[in-house]
Amino acid sequence: MSRIEIDSIRCKGCGRCITACPKDLIEFSQEINDRGYTYVDFTGHQEDCSGCTLCAVVCPDQGIEVWNFKDKQTFVNTTGLTENMTHYCPGCTHGVVHRITAEVLEELGLLDRTVGVAPVGCSVLAYEYFNIDMFEAAHGRAPAVATGAKRARPNLIVFTYQGDGDLASIGGNEILHAANRGEKITVIFVNNAIYGMTGGQMAPTSMPNQKTTTSPMGRDVETTGYPMRVSELLASLKTPAFIARGSAHDGKHSLKLKKLIRQAFEYQRDNTCFSFVEVLSTCPTNWGLSPDEADKWLETTMMPYYPLGIFKQPDVASPA
Amino acid sequence: MPTDTAVTTDTEVLMAGFGGQGTLLAGKVLAQASMDLGREVSWLPSYGPEMRGGTANVIVCIASKPIGSPLIESPRGLIVMNLPSLEKFAPKVRPGGVIIVNQSLIDRDPHRDDCTVVKVPSRELAQQAGAIRAANFVMLGAYIGATGVMPPAAIERAIAEEFEGDKARFIASSVAAFRAGVKAGRQPAH
Amino acid sequence: MAKVLMKGNEALGEAAIRAGCVHFFGYPITPQTEVPEYLVKRLPEVGGAFVQAESEVASINMVYGAAGVGIKCLTSSSSPGISLMAEGMSYLAACELPCVIINIMRAGPGLGGILPSQSDYNQATKGHGHGDYELIVLAPASVQEAVDLMTLAFDLAEQYRNPVMICADGMIGQMMEPVEFPGEGRGEPFKPNDWELTGAKGRARRVVNSLFLAPEELFAHNIHLKEKYDRIHRDEMRSDLYGADEPYDLLLVAFGTMARISKTAIDEVRRDGLRVAMFRPITLNPYPTPALRAAMDAMGPSGKVLTVEMNMGQMVHDVRFAAEGSRTVDFYGTAGGIVPSPDQVAAKIRALIG
Repeated sequence: MSRIEIDSIRCKGCGRCITACPKDLIEFSQEINDRGYTYVDFTGHQEDCSGCTLCAVVCPDQGIEVWNFKDKQTFVNTTGLTENMTHYCPGCTHGVVHRITAEVLEELGLLDRTVGVAPVGCSVLAYEYFNIDMFEAAHGRAPAVATGAKRARPNLIVFTYQGDGDLASIGGNEILHAANRGEKITVIFVNNAIYGMTGGQMAPTSMPNQKTTTSPMGRDVETTGYPMRVSELLASLKTPAFIARGSAHDGKHSLKLKKLIRQAFEYQRDNTCFSFVEVLSTCPTNWGLSPDEADKWLETTMMPYYPLGIFKQPDVASPA
Repeated sequence: MPTDTAVTTDTEVLMAGFGGQGTLLAGKVLAQASMDLGREVSWLPSYGPEMRGGTANVIVCIASKPIGSPLIESPRGLIVMNLPSLEKFAPKVRPGGVIIVNQSLIDRDPHRDDCTVVKVPSRELAQQAGAIRAANFVMLGAYIGATGVMPPAAIERAIAEEFEGDKARFIASSVAAFRAGVKAGRQPAH
Repeated sequence: MAKVLMKGNEALGEAAIRAGCVHFFGYPITPQTEVPEYLVKRLPEVGGAFVQAESEVASINMVYGAAGVGIKCLTSSSSPGISLMAEGMSYLAACELPCVIINIMRAGPGLGGILPSQSDYNQATKGHGHGDYELIVLAPASVQEAVDLMTLAFDLAEQYRNPVMICADGMIGQMMEPVEFPGEGRGEPFKPNDWELTGAKGRARRVVNSLFLAPEELFAHNIHLKEKYDRIHRDEMRSDLYGADEPYDLLLVAFGTMARISKTAIDEVRRDGLRVAMFRPITLNPYPTPALRAAMDAMGPSGKVLTVEMNMGQMVHDVRFAAEGSRTVDFYGTAGGIVPSPDQVAAKIRALIG
């Protein structure tokens, strides 16, 4: 018999844990919390909980911790994040990617020698959430800032955390050249196919026919081109690198994503190469979908166009 | 540090030619020699979009007190390596100045009766000295010979300084070319 | 240490090393390219790093990264490249990160030309990026002064946690003059401080940030910065007077290369008995207004003021501000890479008081 504890204050009521639970043990509460969200409750029988932790894995808000049948805590909120509650919308997977990144740094024992670089975009406030030394960079410039920091203090672990507008659009030059120089930094690239912070404009990674506020009739590939596959683009460079794409839309993929992010930081820790993990991520608010629908839209619409996997590894011959 | 400071005179010289003729280098050697003698000095090159070819000129100012403008409209000395430079700069030389003309490439007279004009077959003299590419040092030598602005030995030390290390093989022939120039420059004065 | 004959651009590079800076981020542009070309050879010898950035936009952000982790660093560019760095300068100033930016000015606007100019005076002292911020701007008039000001630049950058710009022109950058360097080899790094990001080991985490979404917080930050700039304006004005020991009827005001050329012009007209002195601001920001006003007031009410610049009239507005309407201020300038000769400046002086 395992158990979970839900922090009803942190819960934004996105319901991703409800979908994730294989035993249907979680439900929306009848109450709302102090922040106005209808939070979730564990309503099943305690003995039915297998302690699989998937509810905690998909929670974007560090709202669930898990104990196993021996009452040993098997899912602990990472110390790599601050206690601050994020400003992200309910169901936005930024919170998941933050947590996974922080967990990896904690598990590798790197937190106190890491400097992160936050972008401009929805994750502009990432410096409020990562419990480490942080930069806030100008829009798109995070890879240049990280280059300066890493070259100046090579013993630091330096990573950037960037969205698709920041990295693929305004920061296209900086990411391309940081990768091509083989900077020993790690880039976490969150691709949710839209500009979130400014309210849902078309991104370089928006899908064909995707409706956004600047493509109200749907993205027209004749005039705006096709979605940019940044991982494939960077993988075509000759310079050795680790380039991979994962997804944060469900528990299984989030666990796989964590392995990729861990590999990326291991490559940096070992001073091997530039490392880059693209994360397919959801934006329920600007996609106009519920969190659950958003997770499904990612899987059915984005994943076929943005295949998951490792595109390049320093120790494996490049396909190019 | 050499002590023959008093021998040099306050002056300025414009050295001009095609890029690749070594005007900037010869100017640098002159500036270096002046500095080694304890003088104030400035070396101001023209700089333009051409990396090779085109025109290259440099103004070297030598003085006993800090140099004001390193840009001199009417220099007291002019060393011209090619015809365009002669046409452009010869009219600007201050009356009473010295003009060293590269006779190997220029068959025209500067028409400056108010200046000392020395025509130097720089290529031939450089060839004779065994340094075909050292026409610039021949011309610098002629300028030193004609003006006596500093002892030739100071320039020879600066040439050695410039080429020390992996270019040391150029020292002897460059100095020989320079000496041939000094000799050519002195002739009209005697 | 003995004097060496060096180009201004190279001397600036060496001076940075003597000041303890061994990290450089930059992009090629004429007429400053000798700075990176010199440093790419020297920095590995002194344990530093050189990165040729993909653009000036990237260079200044690499500076932001290196300065943020507490490392003395330098970038160098010329006018069009400085325009691209404008954004980064605003962030550096907002985050109070110390660094030095060299601007070897060339003629503009647009792609302009590559010859010497002072047409970025306004940009350096009042322009570049967005928001209420200031750079400290130093203007050398010789290669030796460029070297001396580099040491000062890093000291001021550290003391005030503010970017410092060394604003010279193509002539200073390209000219060779004898120089003497301070110290031997690599200078000292920044002193221990409480702002650099080094990994939050055994201390509270730190953030380098310029985002303040609450207006009261941003206003407080603006006030904090303003108080710092006020201290800089109070304590760091620097200027030089030439020929002011004797009475003068005309005060010429010029900076950088133009001051040197004017000095020769002044020497020339003095031989004809004209009484002229020169005021040369060394800090273009903070502008040495009180000293300039005093130099004006030292003349009688009929004394004239002439500002000479290699632009179409930029600093002259600060000179007029210093005069506060007490007298007219004449202007002489050339642009496009045309450097006025001493004779031209002398002719202008003669036209005014001859």
